[in-house]
Amino acid sequence: MVFKYTPAPMGGSSSNGNLVEFDHVKKAFGANVVLDDINLDIRNGEAIVIAGPSGSGKSTMLRCINGLETIDSGDLRFDGRSVAKAGKGIYQLRANMGMVFQSFNLFPHKTVLDNITLGPTEVKGLSEQEAKERATSLLERVGIPEKADSYPADLSGGQQQRVAIARALAMEPKLMLFDEPTSALDPEMIREVLDVMRDLAKSGMTMVVVTHEMGFAREVCDRIVFIDEGKIVEEGPPDEFFTNAQSQRAKDFVDKILHH
Amino acid sequence: MGEFWEVFQRHLPEFRSGFYITCRLVAMSFVIAMGVGTIIAAFRVAPARALQRIGTVYVEFFRNIPLLVLIFIFFFGFPEVFNIGPWVAGTLALGLYTSAYIAETLRSGVFAVGKGQIDASLSLGFTYRQTLQKVVLPQSFRTVIPPLGNLIIAMIKNSAILGASALAIPDLLKTGRITAALTANAHASFFWAALGYLILTVTATFIVRHLEKRLAIRR
Repeated sequence: MVFKYTPAPMGGSSSNGNLVEFDHVKKAFGANVVLDDINLDIRNGEAIVIAGPSGSGKSTMLRCINGLETIDSGDLRFDGRSVAKAGKGIYQLRANMGMVFQSFNLFPHKTVLDNITLGPTEVKGLSEQEAKERATSLLERVGIPEKADSYPADLSGGQQQRVAIARALAMEPKLMLFDEPTSALDPEMIREVLDVMRDLAKSGMTMVVVTHEMGFAREVCDRIVFIDEGKIVEEGPPDEFFTNAQSQRAKDFVDKILHH
Repeated sequence: MGEFWEVFQRHLPEFRSGFYITCRLVAMSFVIAMGVGTIIAAFRVAPARALQRIGTVYVEFFRNIPLLVLIFIFFFGFPEVFNIGPWVAGTLALGLYTSAYIAETLRSGVFAVGKGQIDASLSLGFTYRQTLQKVVLPQSFRTVIPPLGNLIIAMIKNSAILGASALAIPDLLKTGRITAALTANAHASFFWAALGYLILTVTATFIVRHLEKRLAIRR
């Protein structure tokens, strides 16, 4: 096990413009190696799509970034600080990155508004009033201001996912992680969620998106990272990836996805 | 029918006071049971092994000793060591006994809360404690309201054991016994005592049903 640790410069942000750095990251569940020596730098303001067959380790990569999964060896830095060695500091790191889940995971016992204000008031110490104003403007931004007092169960899947995005944004994160955000949605609702994500990318948010929506990848993201069996097989701009993939595995994947 | 009514009229002040005392016993035990039960449930699901063990030992201890024995321990055993009166001894015995069941019920409610809820909560930067307090326990409570209601009703009925044992607490049952001795009319005396318990348990049932409707999580 090799630990390379560069202390963060005071004030957080890493000096080299990278917001996330995977540094020889390894992760196994028992005998099953899910991440096998992953090296990847994600720059500030970049939108990245992680693609690959199911079970290839995409979601695990995301969950390692905010410490929902721990890594076995190597190092993983967010904003210049090691996630792996954060200890109790992990809570503060997580507060600075938002995560959106496949199954939305809204809090069913709270209204839409309370779902969004809970994090800012509990973790960031905002007053109820400030948090409410922020939540209201975020609901405008994701296009459902009229749902503030509804409960999650009364919303469609697409609306729920937009609330989940608003909930994550309310923490004013530096990074947004999307774990298959449209996979549980009916086709007609996928667009409304992707539209919100597209606007977010345009606004300069750093995003890491695990998705099978290759149209979105092609149009919105700066770079596609293709992983298979826990390894990064290929990475590059989407146009190159789709028209001129270098590896056979990536070619097969593109072929299957574009001609299914 | 006449004699029933006569007993009631003549001993109304005693029955009223017995009813009131049972209410107080139940209220105090309820506060102890819910408070301690919630804390023990939190222990049982805490990431720290030591806390889990404390929770397990607590539950197994209080769940596996007959309530009457607990009452005797608290009433006859403890005053030799601590300076506690019959009220504290009685409500502690009933409250702690019930809290073990409440802890187990809440714990099952915690496991009914999806892992996704915990992921979402942690991803907002919540600590485990905040996650438990703000996200998991409020949902667990709502899921287990019906079984909690059963436990509360059982506790109301169990409170009669306090009156039946040697405690100097003139609750509803004890009032029934005294009245029966005074009037030599056991069936009327205990009928009115039973009615008092019925009023309490039926009221509790309605409150639980109301809470269940009001707090239901729509999924």
